[in-house]
Amino acid sequence: MSEVSTAGRTGLFRPLSTAGAVATVLGALLPWATFVFNEGPYPAKATLQFFDAPFALSGFRLHLMLFGLAALVVGFTRLPGRGRVLRALGWGVLAVSAVNTVFLISNGGGFGAVSASDGAFAFGCYVGLAGGALLVADNWHASAEPLPRWKFSLPLWAAWLVLLVSFGAVLLLVAATLTAGGLGGAADPYAGPVFLSFLGAAGGLLGGLHGTGLLSWIGELSEKHRLFSVLVLLLCALGLPLTSAGNEYWMTVAANIGVYAATAIGLNIVVGLAGLLDLGYVAFMGIGAFVAANLSGAAASALGIHVPFLLAAVIAAVIAGIFGVIVGSPTLRVRGDYLAIVTLAFGEIFRRAAQNNIGGLTGGANAIPNIPQVELFGLEFNNPVTIGGLQLPGGVLYYFLIVLLVALTMVAFGNLKNSRIGRAWIAIREDEDVARAMGIRTGKAKILAFLTGATLAGLAGAVFAHKTATVSYESFQFLESVTLLAAVILGGMGTIPGAVLGAALLFVLPEKLREFSDYRLLLFGLALVLIMRFRPQGLVPDRHRRAELVAEDVELPAAPKEATA
Amino acid sequence: MFATLMQQIANGIVFGALIALVALGYTMVYGIVQLINFAHGEVFMVGAFGGLATYTWVLPADVKQIWYVALPLMVLGGVVVSVLISLAMERIAYRPLRNAPRLAPLITALGVSVFLQEAVRLFYPNATSAQPFPATFITTPLVIGPVTVPASGILLVAVSIVLAILLQAYVNRSRMGRAMRATAQDPDTARLMGINPDRVIVVTFAIGAVLAGVGGVLYGVYINNIDNQIGFQNGVFAFTAAVLGGIGSIRGAVIGSFVIGLVKNLADVLLPGGTAYDYVWIFVLLIVVLVFAPQGLFGEAERVRA
Amino acid sequence: MSDTVQTGKPLLEVRDLCVAYGAIEAVRSVSFTVQAGQIVSLIGSNGAGKTTTLRTISGLLRPRSGQILFEGRPIHTQPAHAILGMGVAHCPEGRRLFPKMTVEENLLLGAYTRKDEGIAEDVERVYDLFPVLGERRGNKAGLFSGGEQQMLAIGRAMMSRPRLLMLDEPSMGLSPIMTQRIFDTIRDLQRLGTTVLLVEQNALAALAQSDYAHVVDLGRTTIEGTGHDLLADQRVRDAYLGEN
Repeated sequence: MSEVSTAGRTGLFRPLSTAGAVATVLGALLPWATFVFNEGPYPAKATLQFFDAPFALSGFRLHLMLFGLAALVVGFTRLPGRGRVLRALGWGVLAVSAVNTVFLISNGGGFGAVSASDGAFAFGCYVGLAGGALLVADNWHASAEPLPRWKFSLPLWAAWLVLLVSFGAVLLLVAATLTAGGLGGAADPYAGPVFLSFLGAAGGLLGGLHGTGLLSWIGELSEKHRLFSVLVLLLCALGLPLTSAGNEYWMTVAANIGVYAATAIGLNIVVGLAGLLDLGYVAFMGIGAFVAANLSGAAASALGIHVPFLLAAVIAAVIAGIFGVIVGSPTLRVRGDYLAIVTLAFGEIFRRAAQNNIGGLTGGANAIPNIPQVELFGLEFNNPVTIGGLQLPGGVLYYFLIVLLVALTMVAFGNLKNSRIGRAWIAIREDEDVARAMGIRTGKAKILAFLTGATLAGLAGAVFAHKTATVSYESFQFLESVTLLAAVILGGMGTIPGAVLGAALLFVLPEKLREFSDYRLLLFGLALVLIMRFRPQGLVPDRHRRAELVAEDVELPAAPKEATA
Repeated sequence: MFATLMQQIANGIVFGALIALVALGYTMVYGIVQLINFAHGEVFMVGAFGGLATYTWVLPADVKQIWYVALPLMVLGGVVVSVLISLAMERIAYRPLRNAPRLAPLITALGVSVFLQEAVRLFYPNATSAQPFPATFITTPLVIGPVTVPASGILLVAVSIVLAILLQAYVNRSRMGRAMRATAQDPDTARLMGINPDRVIVVTFAIGAVLAGVGGVLYGVYINNIDNQIGFQNGVFAFTAAVLGGIGSIRGAVIGSFVIGLVKNLADVLLPGGTAYDYVWIFVLLIVVLVFAPQGLFGEAERVRA
Repeated sequence: MSDTVQTGKPLLEVRDLCVAYGAIEAVRSVSFTVQAGQIVSLIGSNGAGKTTTLRTISGLLRPRSGQILFEGRPIHTQPAHAILGMGVAHCPEGRRLFPKMTVEENLLLGAYTRKDEGIAEDVERVYDLFPVLGERRGNKAGLFSGGEQQMLAIGRAMMSRPRLLMLDEPSMGLSPIMTQRIFDTIRDLQRLGTTVLLVEQNALAALAQSDYAHVVDLGRTTIEGTGHDLLADQRVRDAYLGEN
């Protein structure tokens, strides 16, 4: 099954890890707060329960309990990649404990909330944090262990079954994550912490599974059965309305994420594959949106003509693509940082022009409101639909449309990446001069990258225009470009799951954490700095590439800080 | 029309002088570490707020009335804040990425920029909207024929030119200046000369921050209100100026800044779109320069990390 | 050429050095010593690891393992600028002058770490040694010919008053006459008390000038001996002196 690492510690008993696991279990059982929240709904409504019933495990305490038990069991087995699993579980425990501790302290009026008051003791969070810290610390160097590689070969039906089950699990996890904590903001002030806690648990779970080599194996399996996987994935995505996320609100959130995910995949072609940093990318989405708005028959549009949605979307994509070529043409002469500045300048030109209602096409500060909903095949996209006996919520049609859009961009990305032009892009990204010397027509390839990326963004913009019904220049500012770029980088450059995951995180978090909305950008800026510092390759790194963002492995162990200035 | 033109030219020169103070920081840092320090505009912005904070909380009431005491102290306050912020970001954000591929520090710079803008908006009292900046300087404007320039504008031009000349002399004559040029030309060999690159980089960031801090405070005195966005806007202009002049060149940055100032103010009256489009024209100019003359007016060679 | 016996405490000692660029080990096992006052050369074919060795000694690269001792003190953990301050100057391959600076500025940079009064005097001494530099002291270094640039590079390295001067391929790209002048200069420097560590592909010229020499082959030090001995060594003659 795999070679057990000889470098890692192979002894069966790991006292520190075991202690961490035990502490985690204990932490889950101990009370977490010394008082009852007087707001009432918290324990009932949320998945966090920590007061009255120490043995009734639910919500985050259930997560901790499961993590603790898992760590306990894994600690006594010779599971390959054991250290990695334990470390991931430890990070999960730490994240869950930290989120809940911080929430209790901040909302409970200080440390009294989590330590002792009136003779009641509530050390759950300390024990939990200690458990997580022990697990992480004891397995700090787990990266030295090789990632286990599974080499099962399955009969076709079994492979399909595995994929079906895996993607089904992904669907449930996505639905659970999306709805964790419920609606954010005024609707539910606990949404933020519950969601973050769940995210920590989900991250720990995925990390642990990755540590066993399972995820890589499923990844390889799905690559082997690519068409089947794509179909199942598509089915799963279309099945989201049937899960707990199946109401209008979550459909809208999911649709918004989808639009940005599609745009991020387009940007990933430009940045992740071709290595061309684009700081004005959202302009293409804006161009697509404004074109679609003007062709939608909206009262405020200058043209006032109504073109069927599909045609309008194609026109929007084409026009955005044309602008992509225009913006891309300086790449023939400009490289690196300077190119980033050129794209930034184009983005700013677009924004200023749109702000000033250029040619009467953008509505300026008034935006273009009241864009009619999409109508296709006699269906009005805002309405709920009934298929057979199945009642689906409003907005579900937009969701379906956007799932198809994301699927389309994914297929485009996947095919391009493995094509001749994709290899040319990667060669350019690695070393442009060498690529040219190998006979690659770099100018053509680079412009094609911009063209493709812009076209996809224009398409996403067209859907966006109808979905939100109002198109304003304010949706297409520099910061949106940076956010998209951050989505690509956070997820992992050059990978599809990365772009989707990054877009999902960056556009769900503000939704969930509305009570912190004032701090959103502050945290965003900080996050950019921290990601670049500690995980520049992103959450889902592209394993086939020498990452653009990871320093080359020059050996400087004695004094790592000392090198070229 | 003639009067308007002359007035716009005068405004352009003052604006150019302001931009130059920021552009010099861009050009110096880029020359040494090949980093587009996006956050440099924010250093200018925190300098302005540092000056304002000095006025609001540090200066005693009677001192506030005496401009030749108050203003230098405000400039000092702004400079201290700018330098501290700039050095902190070099140490915390950029230095760990010294050997990382080019995208990493650039994205970090974007992050630092957003962070600083937001930090000021959230934590400086009332900075969620524009803050009035005290008119500490003499208010009598200078009138030459049809042209009226506020005294603060004259001050800005004078300070900017003097500082640029001092900087030029420092870089060309001093031992540290020589080390800076050596590091810019060939960092490895500079180390073989015994030059500590960290020292050089710290000094470079500090000098840039001093100029930006002075610029921030004088901007407040000239415009009379500041907000957390001034850094980004003026930062982009300053960067454009630095590129236009040939990045890495001090003289180029100053001349580029005056060109930008004039283009912006003349575009207001001469080019289609007027004031609403002056930004657009500057960005168009930036693209044209980058595409057709990336070495700028005074740059010696295109210095781009592939 | 003085007879050399390896006695006393060496000025520089390299022990079992291993240096890698990522997965590629450019230097696998290099060990040698340099006695004070000698000219020692490392010879070997292109890519043998000679330049990497020098760059590691001067602190531009970090060893993966092994030790570098200068006057008995380990220096392989020190940053480059500190190593220069200890008295090790490195005149890099390809000269690496600062082309946009004048001759005089290049020399002053060589004395960057010094704060004593003798700098101006030393500049004049370099001009005495290489009159052509003195005549054009205000010109940009990039305008000079290859040989003149090499003189400036050596002069610049001398400006820190090093106890150990490391020269990487000083004869590269130079005419035979110019090569001879450069080697004469190296001997002059030795006479003035400077220890020289020389890396050369031009093995014949290097060995003829060296008190002691080591052959570096595929990242390892193999044969060693006095310059005379190695010139006479059949293996060296076959491999590096182009005889068959």
